[in-house]
Amino acid sequence: MTAVSSTLPTPRFTTVVAHNWKLAIAVAVVVSAVSMAGLPAAVSFWVVGATAALVAAAFTVNAYRRHYFGALLVAPAIAVLFVMNIFPLLWSLGLSFFAYQANQQTIRFVGLGNYVRILTNDLAAHATWGALINTAMFVVFTVSAQMIVGFLLAILFAKQFPLRKYLLILVLTPMMLSVVASGVFFTYYYDPTFGILSYVINSISGNQFILMSNKVGAVAGIVFADAWMWSPFVMLLVLAGLVSVPKYLYEAAAIDRISSWRQFWMITFPYIRGLLMLALLFRTIEAFKLADLVILLTKGGNDTLTISYHLIRIANEQNKTSEGAAISYLMLFMVIVLTNLYLYLANRRTQGA
Amino acid sequence: MPAMTKVKGLATAASFAATLLVGGVTYASAEEVTLTMAVPDWPPTRIMKKFFDEQYKPKSGNTVKLDVDFIPWPDFYTRVNASLTSGEKKYNFIVSDSQWLGAFVEGGYFRKINDLIDADPELKATMESMHPAVLNAYSTYPNSTPNYYGFPQFPDVLVTYGRKDVLCNVDEQTAFKAKYNEKLPCTGEEIDAMDWNTFEHVGEFFQRKKGDKLAGQVLDDDFYGIAYQAGKGYDFSTSSVHTFVWQHGGGIWDETKAPTGHAEGVVNSPKSIEGMEHFLKLLKFMPPVVKTGTMDIFVSDQLFREGKVAMNIDWIGLAEASLDPKTSKVADKLVFGLAPGLRGADGKVNRTSQIGGQPFVLTTWTTPEQIKEAVGFVKWWLSPDIQHQFAAGGGQSAIKSVYSDPKYASYRPWDRAWANSLDWQKDMWHVPQFFELLTEQQDQYDLAITGKQDAKTTLDNIAKFQEDLLKNDGLIQ
Repeated sequence: MTAVSSTLPTPRFTTVVAHNWKLAIAVAVVVSAVSMAGLPAAVSFWVVGATAALVAAAFTVNAYRRHYFGALLVAPAIAVLFVMNIFPLLWSLGLSFFAYQANQQTIRFVGLGNYVRILTNDLAAHATWGALINTAMFVVFTVSAQMIVGFLLAILFAKQFPLRKYLLILVLTPMMLSVVASGVFFTYYYDPTFGILSYVINSISGNQFILMSNKVGAVAGIVFADAWMWSPFVMLLVLAGLVSVPKYLYEAAAIDRISSWRQFWMITFPYIRGLLMLALLFRTIEAFKLADLVILLTKGGNDTLTISYHLIRIANEQNKTSEGAAISYLMLFMVIVLTNLYLYLANRRTQGA
Repeated sequence: MPAMTKVKGLATAASFAATLLVGGVTYASAEEVTLTMAVPDWPPTRIMKKFFDEQYKPKSGNTVKLDVDFIPWPDFYTRVNASLTSGEKKYNFIVSDSQWLGAFVEGGYFRKINDLIDADPELKATMESMHPAVLNAYSTYPNSTPNYYGFPQFPDVLVTYGRKDVLCNVDEQTAFKAKYNEKLPCTGEEIDAMDWNTFEHVGEFFQRKKGDKLAGQVLDDDFYGIAYQAGKGYDFSTSSVHTFVWQHGGGIWDETKAPTGHAEGVVNSPKSIEGMEHFLKLLKFMPPVVKTGTMDIFVSDQLFREGKVAMNIDWIGLAEASLDPKTSKVADKLVFGLAPGLRGADGKVNRTSQIGGQPFVLTTWTTPEQIKEAVGFVKWWLSPDIQHQFAAGGGQSAIKSVYSDPKYASYRPWDRAWANSLDWQKDMWHVPQFFELLTEQQDQYDLAITGKQDAKTTLDNIAKFQEDLLKNDGLIQ
């Protein structure tokens, strides 16, 4: 059935009918402005909320009467997206141009002051750049470790062998554990007094081994823990690609006596490339936001402070809300650039192939 | 900060709904009053809730309900901070670390209580019977002025935890005497008399490898002499460094001297550097985890309870677990004494120390009806009878008549060190900038503790940072 575009006439701007959304918007803007100017914040909050509901209702009625059912069906999702994501995003963008602290009642416009401060001030910028460099380092190390381990695991589990099903469940477990549980587990694992790692190395070398006492060790510890948790995720995606390769392609290749190396590049790889890219994208974005393991394992010590943890400290602990907003926009910008770069490269490859 | 704003928006909406609901209920039945409280989850607050449920009968005749949110320590600040700054107005009573006072008073969340004290002679008498060090640390903002905000919930100090079986062993005693020509502290009184030199000797003396002998037994794991907080989280090295700096005659930025007092030249004065160097010198005798910068109060406490160290300096608030055989391998071998101090040329020991413990504070949106009940509750909590019961159950009291009672020292093995510690207690800053001061300082201390820079560079960096920050905020001219 095709939706018949209704012949409902557009109402005049001043006509009071339920589907006159233009009038609803005008009323909402005026009423909101008046209530924000004249009423206490606690009351005007609800007034503004009510006017937003009025506009939404006008849109809905309009769409219904004009038989825009597609639009009506996606409307709830759009509404949620707007309330939970887009509005806060814009709000925090606005905040980043003000000097505002969540625990103080004053607010002052500073333009790009917060951005200038986090990027050039000799004390604040030092921390920002240090954290960004560390984050880049973690992105490179954790993502490559996860991609390699995950890929190899997938190759292994693509084959049939005894107990495969049970081993697969076991390998997937770390991904399902809470990060806090894993973090505490690794804290003990690396602990020089209680931990098994130091115990084993001590009994071989005879010297006291302390993994987390320098930057190399601390980074290695965090990267290992992160790879332990998230390699199964990469494996799962790659495995899905591997099992989707039709068997007859391999059979044909075997008849042509093609080497297994070429089989991999000519048959397997094209099937899993998209999924590898997806895994890479997901893991890069996640690695860029790494904070939980750092907090649990080092508290940012041994120069392992990441930009996410830095942000938590600035915005949540020190209550420098607008400076935090500026840092999060810096992060958002970087993630978007990085993601688009990936997608661009991926698309170019696909087109070139 | 999209995520945070999101949470904040939701919290605001939820709080309005909650305010409407709660408001409705309060007006419907005037004689039932609910006090909502945010507290850290540990024995001193669990005991309080237990006593309240079992014993509290409000004098007003109203039905008072205490609705307590027990929040784990590592989350506590974040949760309280989020609740206050989001404007949800959920709590009437908050257990607050003393350093938070300025930040939350300036934010308009914590209620000044001078009017309540002045209006109630009984409460006034109670507040006056409090040890002045505790009162200043827990109640005043600006620090040490007669502007009161908090009532002590659980006062706390650092004490020395010791293992009798190791310290009192005859062979160890003889060997120690031979090596250092002094007695190895074994009884509580001997630990009370201990200075940092002896403490250092204990550290050096008891460094044993797996296979070595300790008190006649062959060790199956490495053993260490001493443990003391030196961690990067929260204030887990500030507490110990401040103690050393003060004892050596150095200082931290003193807010009572604002705006003419400086950070530069005080924080990094030669005496302060000397104090910090002294602290760093002790680290090499501590368990290896100290080199990772994660030896906080919980880690050193666990090392002690697992029997890996001979002595640990820690807050009394954590001591209860060491008494319980279920959580402690040394439960039957405990001895407690004062935290060590610095012996001066005149032979007197300076024990100036960073105070621990927490006050509870009232929030500004608490209604008059709730305030009336809250004051009633506080008076009951600080009444001698309940304070005695609290101490007997593992808590502490800062009320003079209570802690100077001879039976006080018999409640728990560490209580004997309590009264004598109080005079020495001092607090860090109460200014709103405390968290910036603290995190920067913790970062710098961590670099020194993990051996990346020396004490002078560390304190120079901190002084520069503080001078800059406080000048911008008008606290230094």
